[in-house]
Amino acid sequence: MSEIRSEQTQAHKPSSSKLNNRIEMLDVLLAILLTGFAVAIILPFLNVVAVSFVTQQEYLKSSILLFPKSFTFENYKSLFEDGRIWTGYRTTLLLLTLGLPLNMFLTTSMAYGLSRPSFPFKRFFIYFVVLTMLFSGGIIPMYLLMKELSLINTIWSVVLVYGINSFYLIIMMNNFTTIPISLMESAKLDGAGEWRILFKIILPLSLPIIATMTLFYAVDRWNEWFNAMIFIRKGDLTVLQLALRSIVIDSQISQQLNISNVQTDKQFSEGLKMAAVIVSMLPIMCVFPMLQKHFVKGMLVGAIKA
Amino acid sequence: MENTHVVKNDSSLISRVLKSKEIYFLILPGVIWFLIFAYVPMYGLSLAFKTYKANLGIFGSPWIGLENFTYVFRDPAFLESVWRTLWINLGRILFQFPFPILLALLLNELRMNRYKKAIQTVYTFPHFLSWIIVSSVLINSLDMQGLVNGIIRLLGGDPINFLGNTQIFRPLLYITDNWKSAGWTMIIYLAAITGIDTEQYESAQLDGATRLQIMRYITLPGIQSTIVVMLILTVGNLMNSGFDQIFNISNAATAKAGEILDMYIYRITFQSAADFSFSSAVSLFRSVINFALLLFADRVCKWLGAEGLFPSMKKKVKVQR
Repeated sequence: MSEIRSEQTQAHKPSSSKLNNRIEMLDVLLAILLTGFAVAIILPFLNVVAVSFVTQQEYLKSSILLFPKSFTFENYKSLFEDGRIWTGYRTTLLLLTLGLPLNMFLTTSMAYGLSRPSFPFKRFFIYFVVLTMLFSGGIIPMYLLMKELSLINTIWSVVLVYGINSFYLIIMMNNFTTIPISLMESAKLDGAGEWRILFKIILPLSLPIIATMTLFYAVDRWNEWFNAMIFIRKGDLTVLQLALRSIVIDSQISQQLNISNVQTDKQFSEGLKMAAVIVSMLPIMCVFPMLQKHFVKGMLVGAIKA
Repeated sequence: MENTHVVKNDSSLISRVLKSKEIYFLILPGVIWFLIFAYVPMYGLSLAFKTYKANLGIFGSPWIGLENFTYVFRDPAFLESVWRTLWINLGRILFQFPFPILLALLLNELRMNRYKKAIQTVYTFPHFLSWIIVSSVLINSLDMQGLVNGIIRLLGGDPINFLGNTQIFRPLLYITDNWKSAGWTMIIYLAAITGIDTEQYESAQLDGATRLQIMRYITLPGIQSTIVVMLILTVGNLMNSGFDQIFNISNAATAKAGEILDMYIYRITFQSAADFSFSSAVSLFRSVINFALLLFADRVCKWLGAEGLFPSMKKKVKVQR
């Protein structure tokens, strides 16, 4: 998408700069407004980082905490001693290793099947998918279904509940249709079956969209919490997001209880909380700036459809 | 459902099906998944007309007609939550929906290309975090001792209790949701802007139009159809948006002000003695209203002359064949 954008801006910018090359009031105003919103997004994160690295004394002393004067790793130490974040990381990584391959297998095979030019009942199967985007049963029947399949309190409930995202499926299907049919026809003449064509021809040609979809599914799995909250009531299978939530809520309660004797508290709950926030978003924070282009590309392929 | 008109084919249908059996094997895993984890739950909403017995399951529980609904509509908390959902989400359309459009229009005018890209990265980032993380980050800043009140104090004002005030709760929802996702939605509009014919811009510049005039009379009309589609989708979500956000950002003080329909369903199902039939009735009500709203919004848009949601979808499906 960024390529298209820069081409386009270059296409009509030269003529505009011919007319007025100077910086107008409008440019200054724009820069201020847009930077303002960016600052409004960055400052809270900066604040979180700062709070996670300071002691309670410094936190209480400074009203605007963005660049702490002294650093301490005490908050992180007590976070890792607490242990819940480890459980969260373990469960979420397990969820990713089991769930991502399932997502990609189900989505690519079905998307490729549906992208084939024509076969009986093709329309029916496409409506079969589209209907799930318009109407869903919701959480209650899903919970009862999981109960009847005896998947409650197992990781499989959360793995299976999110097998295919219909939007991603349709994005992928549309992408596969852009591959020239002659490629598949000639492979067929060589005696290759559909599965072979999928793995030997389609997937190597569609690596960008495969990468983007994997990324989308990975982020969704990483951020999974609602289904896990409903289906898993076992402490040692808490997903990362819920581990974070339990730490945040715990420290809110302890804050309320300690309101009279804040100073005597040896653990700095606000700092612990923010350390947990940092640890839970670290992977996305590291990966996002590099892969932002892919995220945007994937979304735009979908947006054109909508 | 839709298959009735497909089965008008000649006798060769069976042989054609047999010839495409490999394709059916390809889509089989996906179809099985959809059947079990999308269509069975959809059928499961029929519990709304049954009385749920744990030993008989979803399929075996006895039918009781509309009895559940008579209880549902007698529950004042249900009716309140319906109105609250509608009001909160109508407010979203009024106060939250225009912001990403404005953002796209402004960012499009920014001339520094590198800075533009950097800013875009910042804007889109929070969208990829869960509401659990986002609410923790924002609550930390909006706290009585937090960053925002620190700035207010520095400027000589009195600290404001942003999080525990039912009066501020709705604006808080709109602002925090935009904080998280406006940048991401903005990308859709930016893409639509790049699709506008550049000739229009050139001739407007030759005619001496100012940049604000160009923004108003070329760019904005140029993305009108995208705005309409986004609006339809938003209206179609009137009944079920905001659970993740409200669940994480509301607290004891604002619980009542934030009890939208989904929060109500969650509370009666998973926080008290569950009556699954009753909850299913509420859930079915929600899904039906949602579906109706989506169709309604689509109709209104077509009636107003804009291209709705479904024509483009049908076109797409036709292109596939």
